[in-house]
Amino acid sequence: MASESALIFTNTRAQCEIWYQRLLEAEPQLAGWMAMHHSAISKELRDWVEDALYDGRLKAVVCTSSLDLGVDFRPVETIVQIGSPKGIARFIQRAGRSGHQPGAASKIYFVPTHALELMESPSLRRAIAEEYVENRVPHIRCFDVLVQYLMTLAVSDGFRPDEIWPEVRSTHCFGSLDLQEWYWALQFITKGSRSLEAYDEFQKVEITGGHYQIHDRRIALRHRLSIGTIVGDTMIKVRFLRGKFLGNIEEWFISQLQPGDVFWFAGQPLEFVMLKDMDALVRKSTKKTGRIPSWQGGKSPLSSELAEMLREELYLYLEGFSPSPEAQYLQPLFDLQAERSSLPGRELFLIEYFMTREGYHLMMYPFEGRFVHEGMAALIAKRISRSQPISFSIAMNDYGFELLSDKPIDLDPVHIQSWFSTDHLQSDIESSINSVEMARRQFREVARISGMVFAGFPNKPKKEKHLQASAQLLFNVFKDYEPENLLYRQTYEEVMTFQLEEARLRAALKRIRSQQIRVEYPDKVTPFAFPIMVERIRERFSTESLSDRIKKMKVEWGDG
Amino acid sequence: MNVNVAGEDLELHVFKSVYWKRQRALWIADLHLGKASHFNRAGIAVPEAVTDENWQRLYHLLDHYHPRDVLFLGDLFHSAYNVEWDILGRFLKAFPHTRFHLIMGNHDILDDEHYQQLGLLIHEPYLEWKPFLFSHYPLDDVPADWYPVCGHIHPAVRLRGMAYQGLRVPCFYFGEQQAVMPAFGAFTGTGVIRPRRGDQIYLIAEDEIIPAEEGE
Repeated sequence: MASESALIFTNTRAQCEIWYQRLLEAEPQLAGWMAMHHSAISKELRDWVEDALYDGRLKAVVCTSSLDLGVDFRPVETIVQIGSPKGIARFIQRAGRSGHQPGAASKIYFVPTHALELMESPSLRRAIAEEYVENRVPHIRCFDVLVQYLMTLAVSDGFRPDEIWPEVRSTHCFGSLDLQEWYWALQFITKGSRSLEAYDEFQKVEITGGHYQIHDRRIALRHRLSIGTIVGDTMIKVRFLRGKFLGNIEEWFISQLQPGDVFWFAGQPLEFVMLKDMDALVRKSTKKTGRIPSWQGGKSPLSSELAEMLREELYLYLEGFSPSPEAQYLQPLFDLQAERSSLPGRELFLIEYFMTREGYHLMMYPFEGRFVHEGMAALIAKRISRSQPISFSIAMNDYGFELLSDKPIDLDPVHIQSWFSTDHLQSDIESSINSVEMARRQFREVARISGMVFAGFPNKPKKEKHLQASAQLLFNVFKDYEPENLLYRQTYEEVMTFQLEEARLRAALKRIRSQQIRVEYPDKVTPFAFPIMVERIRERFSTESLSDRIKKMKVEWGDG
Repeated sequence: MNVNVAGEDLELHVFKSVYWKRQRALWIADLHLGKASHFNRAGIAVPEAVTDENWQRLYHLLDHYHPRDVLFLGDLFHSAYNVEWDILGRFLKAFPHTRFHLIMGNHDILDDEHYQQLGLLIHEPYLEWKPFLFSHYPLDDVPADWYPVCGHIHPAVRLRGMAYQGLRVPCFYFGEQQAVMPAFGAFTGTGVIRPRRGDQIYLIAEDEIIPAEEGE
């Protein structure tokens, strides 16, 4: 690529590592001129990359959204977006990083990572032409942040609730807070979440004459250490034997390594030497291949605006209008889909049902983005389970979702219609969330921000082992014993509002109801189905009893 | 669920305990009493109702079996002194005809006198009671005529089914060489084990115990 400099955006940190490595293999002369930048890399290394980029010392940087905002550098010549940008605003913003002269056009290359993704290209063009960009919806009623804020005040000079209450109330986030909820937050930081009986020993913020403050140094230190951390699984620090700190990798990846194993991180091959306390010690390796770590970050879904543009482009093309080069390129894929099943359309909602060795697959294609699909899948799973206890493995991408069962699913047309009903929607969604992992995952973040889960003091992980409880364990405890806990409730509200985007789910259901629903029974796997079926990250849904489920399954035997 | 191990009849209870019929002894491991309080003292709010479940289960078992001996296989308390202590003291006094034993574990960190004041008989590092050898940690080099029973591991196994179904289920482990007890405490995590063929695994569902099928 004859270009002065380039930024290559990827959607996940793992992809960032993979692309960096592959680019280096393909163009070895880039060594020394190319760098990597993502949030698990140490600040020191990231600062170096940002400085080098600013000074023009680098030809290429492979990065994630870590270089989206807040970093100042001279415009680069070329921007490459690998995989869907997931949103129009983000795409435009990244394109804006390019262009040497004021007034010159910004240039951005889009590299789809699977065939259908190619349709996003004309969709983005259409959106930009129509100036159709996402709104930003702010979070409200974030009790975890409120608790953290009060703790921060308590750790310094302390505070008086009467003085802080008006300040909190004046914010957009907490404008709707009532006194009961405010008292709940105060009680949470002083006594735990309910009025406790004599034998309880909760201790955090102490009250002296109406003044709230933390006096316990350990608790104060723990709070200072945990605010501002990026939420994720237990992170292990990766450092060279000589001590230089490289970044963080999640514990599950490190636990798979034996001394001598080679993995790539921050753009270089590293040999794992040993694990000491919470640090993984490594040395440089000369091997060319190695494992690539991955991080369980939140995946961004397709924004509803981009999803709308995508559906529009697809329908227009299938109706014979808007023959973009991308859609024409995909014609063989559309032909295959039509041959084995059907193509969705403005008036046609497609459902596919077929059996493989894995079980019975129920596929649907709303083209609404993965989070709405997650919600819709859970909702429909719940509604199906009303006729019989059933267990599903649920997978989704931005175009559709799958419900996979180990027994046949009843496809009576009357039942199918009822799956998309908007009656009792809110209560059905709430009860369906209970049957899947969504809330549990969201709770991890809430638990970390509010200080319920703590990663450990640096250099002293052993002493804090007695305080390690996974967010998972805490979630189960709240669910079984204290479902009125406001932080637990916040989790559900956030899932409803942000992940499921209940309003958007409702609109999608209404739209589907206005379409004709067609069920196809393909003999062979279809091009629309395949990318969803191979999705590794799956949601589990079950309304069967634990005993029934156990009896259907087999123990994983090993070597002891 | 009744099983026969090392020639002895045992009854497995879904509350994660074992009752040794011939000796009228109840085995319980990894109670971790006070774990919720320990978290609360450090400022992490865990609902106290978690603790109530422990007491309720313990009471039910004692009331059901009226054992002559109760063996706590370690980690009776989660950490240092807290109010659970006093509760256990009162609890033990409510069963004057039962002997309570504690085989010391890594979380049992107080001096022996404290435990003895509660009325517990201390054993360290193991208790010999033919044919069983009770300890908290798994033991190595056990002579052939003894069958060791330990805790500490909080065993669970992974199950797999069609349609990518997967589960992690706590269990009783009776291997050819040793047994591992499930963790009794209501606020404890589990550690996955991968058993060998020939091991007996009993899966603990909500209200029943299900033997794992062998030879799969």
